[in-house]
Amino acid sequence: MWAYVLRRFFYNIPVFMGIVLLVMLALRVRDPVNGLLGKVKTEQEIAAKRMELGLDKPFVQQYGIFLKKLCTLDFDEESWVNRGQTVGEVMQRCVGPSLALTVPSLVLTTLISVAIALMSAWYRGRWLDKALVISAVLGMSVSFLVYIVFGQYYAAAWLPDQIGMSPFAVSGYEPLEKDGIGTYVLKHWPYYCLLPVLISVIVAMGYDTRFYRAVMVEESGRDYITTARAKGASQPKVMFVHMLKNAMIPIITRVVITIPFLITGSFLLEVYFAIPGMGKQLLTAVVEADFPIVQAFTAVFAAIYIASNLLTDVLYAVVDPRVRLS
Amino acid sequence: MSGASDESRSLRKFLRHKPAMISFVVILAYVAVAAAVILGDLVSVEDCERRYGPKSTPGFGVSQLFEKRLQDLSWYAEQIEQKLALRQKLKRRLQSRGVEPTNEKIEQELRGLRIGNLRPADISAEDFQIRLDSLWNTVAELDEFDDLNNPGSDTTTIERLTSAAEGQMRSLYAEQTPAEARHRNLHLLFGTDVAGRSVFLRSIYSIRVAILVGVVTGFISVAIGSLLGLAAGYFGGWVDGVVTWLYSTFASIPNIVMLMVLAYMFRGGEIDAWLNDLTGDRFGWLIGGTLDETLIPVFVAFSATFWIGPCRVIRGETLKLRESEYVQASQVMGYSRVRILLRHILPNISHLMLINFSLLFIGAIKSEVILSFLGIGVQSGASWGLMIDAARDEVLNDFFWQIGAATALMFGLVLAFNILSDALQDILDPKHV
Repeated sequence: MWAYVLRRFFYNIPVFMGIVLLVMLALRVRDPVNGLLGKVKTEQEIAAKRMELGLDKPFVQQYGIFLKKLCTLDFDEESWVNRGQTVGEVMQRCVGPSLALTVPSLVLTTLISVAIALMSAWYRGRWLDKALVISAVLGMSVSFLVYIVFGQYYAAAWLPDQIGMSPFAVSGYEPLEKDGIGTYVLKHWPYYCLLPVLISVIVAMGYDTRFYRAVMVEESGRDYITTARAKGASQPKVMFVHMLKNAMIPIITRVVITIPFLITGSFLLEVYFAIPGMGKQLLTAVVEADFPIVQAFTAVFAAIYIASNLLTDVLYAVVDPRVRLS
Repeated sequence: MSGASDESRSLRKFLRHKPAMISFVVILAYVAVAAAVILGDLVSVEDCERRYGPKSTPGFGVSQLFEKRLQDLSWYAEQIEQKLALRQKLKRRLQSRGVEPTNEKIEQELRGLRIGNLRPADISAEDFQIRLDSLWNTVAELDEFDDLNNPGSDTTTIERLTSAAEGQMRSLYAEQTPAEARHRNLHLLFGTDVAGRSVFLRSIYSIRVAILVGVVTGFISVAIGSLLGLAAGYFGGWVDGVVTWLYSTFASIPNIVMLMVLAYMFRGGEIDAWLNDLTGDRFGWLIGGTLDETLIPVFVAFSATFWIGPCRVIRGETLKLRESEYVQASQVMGYSRVRILLRHILPNISHLMLINFSLLFIGAIKSEVILSFLGIGVQSGASWGLMIDAARDEVLNDFFWQIGAATALMFGLVLAFNILSDALQDILDPKHV
């Protein structure tokens, strides 16, 4: 297995270098210096700025410098827009809010979807199953934006009218460091993050439920289920012991694959709810041409993505002895 | 079992699949509207931007609060008044020059006033002033009441006065022909947005954007993906290496980063300048303006991320087919590789291309909403994404017409495509989970 991991690692080096190359090239299509300096500028100022940012060097050299920094895990480059902050600091600050949104929604979505999928498989072909399948398709056909707009409307305008207080914020965030973990978990998190988490759970549920139901239906047609039934196992036992166990492989795969996306955060939710996470920061950085941040974000994401893909394959082999890594 | 009978069996299955057929008809209807907008100029960009009435009027002529009715009729009156106000300025200027003022110029200005297809009545400027004054008198009477929204016992009086004011307002505008009135009702069918633009026309125009984005990106992505997937799967070796490297690389860049960076690339006009240099200014002429004004950045951004899916699937299927007996048989018979690829492998992956196209179509329409928000995407005209985003503040004021219209039309199209692609998958690729 270690040979396999090592080979995959070496195979992914050109992929990683390609990602960095693509992003750096794409960013350099436009000259960022004009935007970074104010309206009034002289030729000398532009040249000096270019030198300061290292944009005067040939592209290959810039590429080399950045790769070297990545290899030595050096994230001390200064942000071009927020002077005085290093890329590492910015990432550290933004990853918390993003995770506060994405981790709970991933956990909730998976638990609820698997439960609904089991229910759907239990009543397969009957009205409850049909109703669930239809509502999943209906839910998938509405735009994410609509869920956000209506979520904000009900939480910010309708619900406070009904109960006389506002349980959810429509924008803003309080970091964990501010008042300690107790206040954060009990007060700040539910106030700022619960609503966006609920919205993203509702949006994701349609897709996940359909996928997990398809997995369950596929499993329920297999021989070992028939055998278990023939041996006289009860329906709950067949479903929860035999079927769920085997359905775990695709479930785990799907969950592990989404892990890298946890750190990019949910860009739309962060922007609409003004939560200062990675997605929002990334958008600001791209708009303001803050190259170091965009490059570092992309590189870190890609590294995690590649690692978790590898992890999926290895987990596969561990969970399912039939799978051979080659 | 020959290919032909297989195909006709799939077609029969499809024709018998009722939800799929209904969805197919719905999609065709959308495509027909989009074609009418693109080719027949059913709704133009100007129609999307023009004012059709006061801001935020509800659709279907839903009964309104007195206050809103008063605001709306005042708005119509003010349009005339603004033109008339020019008279005072003109008068003063002419008198200073010792010329006797006439109303000709003012009346000319008034003839030019258009609210949708509503135009001012064909009367003199003095008559306008008289009618306006009596209207403002009625309005002043209405202002006596403290709370128009909760009139209590005064309801009948307020209703009478408001109707009278509305009648006086209507007399400022020309009598419309039945056809014009019908058009006007249609324009105001779903009400107006904050800028007084017709929600109905905007949501219809958005169909054009959605269909264009769906068809073009679906087509380009499937074409690129199949081409690379086929080549990688069939030729193997270094071709496979390059293609796998390419899609691993593209897949490892988060989608949203890719879209943002591409949005950034297209915004500055550097690409326009570069392409114009390259082609001797023929590029700008070809696309009729700058890239930002067209949907080309959207197509590029989506195709750059969407080709990965079909490429992966088709590469896998081609790898499998390459080892199949009939392909080996054709190899033994000495057919060329191109012939084997085009005549033997391509037909057997075409169902995957179709399924992927329909999946990408949905993805493109739904992502367009996000892209409009990012600032590439649609700049002129309208799109459902822009409409839903604009509706954020309206919703807080309990105005749901814009978001409702955009969501309903988008829902219809996406639902139809969801059902269709499910049916396609069931019929053409039953093994797929």
